[in-house]
Amino acid sequence: MESMLSFLLATLAAPLFPGIILKVKAFFAGKKGPPLLIKYYTLAKLLRKGSVYSTSTSFVFKMGPTVSFATALMALLFFPLAGVKPVFFFHGDVIVLFYIMGIGRFFTILAALDTASPFEGMGAAREAFFSTLAEATVFMVLILFYRMNGSLSFTDYFQSQNPITLMSPNGSLLLFVVVSMFMILLTENSRVPVDDPATHLELTMIHEVMILDHSGPDLALIELGAFYKLFFYAAFISHLLIPAKFAGGAAGGAVFVGTLAMIYVAIGVTESITARFKMNLVPKYILTSFALVTFAAILTTMGLV
Amino acid sequence: MTHITDAVLVIILLSVLLSLGSNRLKALVEIMALQGIMVSLVPLLLEYKAEVHHGGIIFFQIMILIKGVLIPWLLYMAVQRIAIKREVEPIIGYHASLLAGLVVIFVSTIVTQKLHLTLAAGRELLLITAITTLAAGLFLMMSRRKAITQVIGYLMLENGIYLTGTALTKQSHTLYVVEFGVLLDLLVGVMIMGIILHNIKDAFDDVDTTFLGSLKD
Amino acid sequence: MIEYVFILPVLGGLMALFLPTTLGRGLLIITAFLHLQLTVLGWLGKLTPAFINFFKVTPEGMLVLLVTSFIFALISIYAVAYVSETGLKNEPVFICCMLLFLGTMSMVALSDHPIVLWISIEATTLVSAPLIFIKRSKEALEATWKYVMICSVGIALALLGCFFITLSMDIGNVDVPLSFSSLNQVAKQLDPLWLKAGFVFVIIGFGTKMGLAPMHTWLPDAHSQAPSAVSALLSGALLNCAFLGIYKVHALMNVAGLGAFSSNVLIGFGLFSVLVAGIFILNQPDYKRMLAYSSIENMGVIAFGVGVGGIAGYGAILHLIHHSLLKSSLFLSSGNILLGFGTKLVPKVGNMVKLFPKTFVSFFAGFAGISGFPPFGIFISEILIIIGAFQAGRYVSVGVLIFGLILVFAGAARIVMDISFGETSQEVLIKEKFFRIMPSFVLLLTSIGLCIWIPDGIYQKILHTIQIIGGGIHG
Repeated sequence: MESMLSFLLATLAAPLFPGIILKVKAFFAGKKGPPLLIKYYTLAKLLRKGSVYSTSTSFVFKMGPTVSFATALMALLFFPLAGVKPVFFFHGDVIVLFYIMGIGRFFTILAALDTASPFEGMGAAREAFFSTLAEATVFMVLILFYRMNGSLSFTDYFQSQNPITLMSPNGSLLLFVVVSMFMILLTENSRVPVDDPATHLELTMIHEVMILDHSGPDLALIELGAFYKLFFYAAFISHLLIPAKFAGGAAGGAVFVGTLAMIYVAIGVTESITARFKMNLVPKYILTSFALVTFAAILTTMGLV
Repeated sequence: MTHITDAVLVIILLSVLLSLGSNRLKALVEIMALQGIMVSLVPLLLEYKAEVHHGGIIFFQIMILIKGVLIPWLLYMAVQRIAIKREVEPIIGYHASLLAGLVVIFVSTIVTQKLHLTLAAGRELLLITAITTLAAGLFLMMSRRKAITQVIGYLMLENGIYLTGTALTKQSHTLYVVEFGVLLDLLVGVMIMGIILHNIKDAFDDVDTTFLGSLKD
Repeated sequence: MIEYVFILPVLGGLMALFLPTTLGRGLLIITAFLHLQLTVLGWLGKLTPAFINFFKVTPEGMLVLLVTSFIFALISIYAVAYVSETGLKNEPVFICCMLLFLGTMSMVALSDHPIVLWISIEATTLVSAPLIFIKRSKEALEATWKYVMICSVGIALALLGCFFITLSMDIGNVDVPLSFSSLNQVAKQLDPLWLKAGFVFVIIGFGTKMGLAPMHTWLPDAHSQAPSAVSALLSGALLNCAFLGIYKVHALMNVAGLGAFSSNVLIGFGLFSVLVAGIFILNQPDYKRMLAYSSIENMGVIAFGVGVGGIAGYGAILHLIHHSLLKSSLFLSSGNILLGFGTKLVPKVGNMVKLFPKTFVSFFAGFAGISGFPPFGIFISEILIIIGAFQAGRYVSVGVLIFGLILVFAGAARIVMDISFGETSQEVLIKEKFFRIMPSFVLLLTSIGLCIWIPDGIYQKILHTIQIIGGGIHG
């Protein structure tokens, strides 16, 4: 029951946090910025509209938004939030989960290709390339966690006897993971410096260019899916940051939400003070995150720390 | 409770890796400043239980000042004044550099394990960090074209050696006067390198070391 | 307080920055001779160190100090004559760095604490860099950059070596002050593994500075681009200082019973340096570079001799002294040639025997001396080293050494003959002057003198020096 409640809260609250990013960016630009609830307004606006489909597209195009939204939602089902057990969990759920998210991406890419627009094809190629690289990092993190914790389930990672947090005895290594997961968060969710969600030029887009042809409720689903995904990664990092003793209870929830908000602020700050990379430097950036985690993995595998 | 020392060491390792992957000179200098401060914190953290003399405390403050502020500032000025192109210009690409970094840490872990018996307890990560920093510094010197990156590589090498020193030896042997001398040498060295850099820029309109190849047999 | 030996030149150097040029020149010569006086006082045992943690009067240090001080006094005369004729820009900086250079080298000779030794050797690099760059040409710039970078990195590795030596104390549970003299007394208890590692890093580090191949790459550039007075100092004094660093650790290894290991390493580096120098000298188009490679060769010979030990150890120290005298004389003569012809390229210069008869005599005599002809000291020292190597049963090594020496001789002889007797169309720019000739001759005569008669004080100091590595005049 508690699990369902936290899940529902998460699904409802996820669109709130991107508003924080916008606020931070507006602050840095010296503007007032849109209201915090802007994303809800946008979603409501989109849902009221109708969808337009190009005559050259097939059913694949229509499936894209639905599948990507569904997979993002599933990710939250498996993920423990604020010390509450997730709705579903089993040994090995992390692997399933990352592949489910892979399915979502696969269908988004398919839908983009289905439009037969050269721009969208280009975006799809970039998305596929960069997320392949990012996957290496993610699985290196899983290997590292397996070494540290001996399990393959989010629940065990964050809620077992021997939780993985920065404050555990050998937790300092997790600094590597935190940094590289943050880099992965920026990559996977198309944020600066990898991609610019607010750019206006199709040539330089990655994610945005893929969904150019979606409209109305379809676009709303895609956006909502993106919020969930961002929420998932941010929650992942905040679990690493929060000491185990704060898990559970109202206090735990408050700490969790606070940390989460801090991460969103960090994203906003990063977006404000960095420029996006040239496209050919993005692989280097992702590879850096991979190298960081591998550093940590080497150190633990050697049993030295 | 996480050991703060470990966290500091991990940050040093982070800075090493980021410096291998960084493509902007300014970012590189900023990373070096961070590394300098962290490196100067390490001995203080290792010794916090033992009696630290007043002289020692003052020494560490000066060290943070020199390694974390003064030298990076000098480098920063050099970058401002010298480099027209603010890119790092690697001879060995970023990806290969990052992989080289991985190899370096792997090797240093193995080396440390071999020396396991002869080390004071709890200093393994310190030694790994030291060797990695040292080797990565050397690598950076060899694999980047700009003269200023060679200076940065030299600094990193020096940081690594300093860490090795703190990892391996008791502070009591190396009196602070001596460490201060080492630090002073380093500072003057960087200043002289800076002056030469400036002259290289004047003479060749660039700080690319490929221009420095006319003397040979 | 023997520390005045390095405090005096450092103060003098700092003062020179603020003096007008004529006063600065006077200051250079006066300080040089005062330094010689202080050194002699030190030899007579009138001065004792005040900071006993860091400094000590050691026989090897005093030998190096005497050589340095003596050749610096003569070079200072040459340098003043040189700058007054050529009109150097930044003359105060030149004088200042010359004096600082003397000061830091004296500090090397006196230091007893490994890390103080390191600090002073690194300081010699830093204060000599402006001297190499003083002509401000593109080539000088390149040479300086290489010098600073390669030597700094090399010496940084030596610092690592010093830390390893410290570690060997901790592991051996030895609690004595960190200094070579106290370490020598407890050497047996030091951890052998770390001591070996320390030695390897020290020889790589200080070997870079000493010009041992394959770390020698900076040396020909720096020596050929620096003004000749500076080249003479670099070759005649600085290389000895770096050698001193290696020697002290080698002595420690010997006392610790690891002499065989360090000897072999030294012999290996020594032979390799001789061979490399021989190969590069063969077709050398630049006579100052030729001299630089000859320095590499001689450092190789010294390393070899010290490594072999026994009577070769005596030979090596003798070689060190005579090499400093002869090589600085040669560099000073080459400075005259460079001033006279305005080029360093062998094909463009020639007929020195007619155009510069006095320089010819000093250059040719210096060449004969450095190649090991009597009556110069290197004749004796090389024979002693070769005999010592035969006594130690190192037949192969000695064969390689002799081969290398022949190579160097062949290469150098061609160049010297070309310069002395070959044809040239070059016009004479600046004539030779007494004050630029006299120092070379004094250095040469000293070498001859020392060959015929060694003062007992020096003889005893050499014996004391090599005692610790198991060397002696009786094999």
